Amino acid sequence: MKSFFWENLRIALSELWGHKTRSILTGTGIVIGIIAVSLMSTLINGVDGLFEESMKFLGRGNLYVEKWPWFGDEDWWTLRNRPRIELDMAEKIQERSQYAMVVAAERGRMANLSYKELSAENIYIHGVTANYPEVSTVDVEYGRFFTESEDRTGAQVVLLGSEVAKTLFPQGNPVDKMIFAGSKRFRVIGVLAEMGKFMGAFSNDTQVIIPLATFNKIFHGPWGRRSITVKVPEHLVEDAKEELRGVVRVLRGLKPEEKDNFAINQQNAFRQSYQGIKLAIGGTGMIITALSLLVGGIGIANIMFVSVKERTREIGVRKALGATRSQIQGQFLIEAMVITASGGLVGLIISTLISMAISKFLFPATMSFGVAFMAIALSAGVGLFAGLAPARKGAKLDPIEALRYE
Amino acid sequence: MSLIQVNDLYKIYQMGNTEVRALDGVSVTIEQNEYVSIMGPSGSGKSTLMNLLGCLDTPTSGEFFMDGINVATMGDDELAHIRNKKIGFVFQTFNLLPKSTSLRNVELPLIYNGEIKAHERRDMAIKALTRVNLGDRVSHKPNELSGGQRQRVAVARALVNNPAIILADEPTGNLDSKTGEEIMVLFDELHKQGNTIILVTHEEHIAAHASRVVRLLDGKIAVDEATNRGKK
Ligand SMILES: Nc1ncnc2c1ncn2[C@@H]1O[C@H](COP(=O)(O)OP(=O)(O)OP(=O)(O)O)[C@@H](O)[C@H]1O
Ligand SMILES: [Mg+2]
Repeated sequence: MKSFFWENLRIALSELWGHKTRSILTGTGIVIGIIAVSLMSTLINGVDGLFEESMKFLGRGNLYVEKWPWFGDEDWWTLRNRPRIELDMAEKIQERSQYAMVVAAERGRMANLSYKELSAENIYIHGVTANYPEVSTVDVEYGRFFTESEDRTGAQVVLLGSEVAKTLFPQGNPVDKMIFAGSKRFRVIGVLAEMGKFMGAFSNDTQVIIPLATFNKIFHGPWGRRSITVKVPEHLVEDAKEELRGVVRVLRGLKPEEKDNFAINQQNAFRQSYQGIKLAIGGTGMIITALSLLVGGIGIANIMFVSVKERTREIGVRKALGATRSQIQGQFLIEAMVITASGGLVGLIISTLISMAISKFLFPATMSFGVAFMAIALSAGVGLFAGLAPARKGAKLDPIEALRYE
Repeated sequence: MSLIQVNDLYKIYQMGNTEVRALDGVSVTIEQNEYVSIMGPSGSGKSTLMNLLGCLDTPTSGEFFMDGINVATMGDDELAHIRNKKIGFVFQTFNLLPKSTSLRNVELPLIYNGEIKAHERRDMAIKALTRVNLGDRVSHKPNELSGGQRQRVAVARALVNNPAIILADEPTGNLDSKTGEEIMVLFDELHKQGNTIILVTHEEHIAAHASRVVRLLDGKIAVDEATNRGKK
């Protein structure tokens, strides 16, 4: 049986070689289908990686008490009219919540910074509590983070995002230099390591971090983001969310019939909406794949019928010499599968090249072994399917009729 | 039990309103290790009979027993098996695969035999080609060979599996008398080894190699007799 396989493979390859143009034309549909499916899977893997990378910024066990929900379809005016988050709730939450491990508070707004004649405009100023590094990824490259007492006393110290540092201090170490935020002087105590972009858009590298108390002292008024981050054990995050909701409702004095006038955000919200996007991409890719494989498969079936017809005499000779039906059928099936699998291989090579280009210029996307295997198996499967009817037809030929065929 | 027993075999082609009786009631019995030549004018039904004996064609009516088994009752795979292992067929029109070399053509029956390894196959095919004096033409394709050489490739292909029955439809038709004799020596040898040989020929001196001659006329057996050799 093994020897038939090699024999048939050999026949198939020499047939394909003998009809190069025809094989290339028929294989094209498969090539496109395989490019679509493998590129799509690779892209999804790549975007997944990107997404997970971004999610690092939002710890899995973090709950964010905020005015605005990250996702949802609540009425904008209702949300707009919610009271702003009182950041001093943080301490009470810490006291009352059983799940809370760390409770950090933060505010943010845009401001312009300057150092001597250099300036950096529209920089996000982040006022955070001293325990902020415990709820987020803060990687101090030079210098240090601020201390609790600096936060308590409202010390005018600042940590620079890597981009800000580059802009204000093109050469030389910013640590211990004095910079201006508006009219206030701040001492640089650290520089953050480069972190990359969140979801490919918002970059933490263009922010600066100052103590929350300092922020409160300098920036009055209702503007800017306010958020309380409650870190809870990851596996209990759903329970903790319910508890936290209760705690905040009590702190806000909400009556049972009143709706929440705050939002508790979490990474899951991103995950869910990301899943939706992913499904949409995947669905589109699947449709393109299915269509091109279907069209490709019909092309293969057609060409195999032609091939069987052209080679009627050959089939007659083989049958006269003792080929069984299944052997003839196998020969044509393998031939169809060789066409489609070669198409699949070509498609795979092309999409590997494309994904290499994407990796280089956009985001990491590498073809996985699983995707490659699936692509080849899928294309061979199309061949098997498309070749079935023509192969049957060839196998059923009567030997003497076939030998007489002109 | 006879090797081949044919009872009242008809092969009728309906061509529009006229019917062509290629075989018109043929009954013949051939024993193991017989050496039979079939003669008759062109169109008398020789090839038709050979195709039926080779399990390639099915009769319009009549019975055909091989080793006592009614061929009509055999399944497709069984027939394929018989064609592969038991019968070596030399076609009047050769029926070589045009795109394959002599070697590949001769290897074909061995490939479908399924029990022979690739290198053995090659050795056996080369040996068969050498027996028909084509040891130096193994990698030629049919269109690179003369008519006589093609015929010899066809003979080599029929021999290669060492089949019990060799059915040869004018195996020397395209050969000069010297090469033709060489092929006949080969058949004589195979016959001595115990194989059954049935060959179609138009030439009396070729037919004389056999021990029995069956003469067809208009699809019927006109004469069925022992040759001089057979009488000895
Ligand atoms: N497929 C066919 N359809 C119609 N008639 C056929 C067919 N095959 C053979 N015949 C007819 O059957 C008769 C016998 O043909 P066959 O080939 O057996 O002759 P033959 O004895 O082998 O002749 P030759 O010596 O020329 O090879 C011929 O009259 C031929 O025309
Ligand atoms: Mg004939």
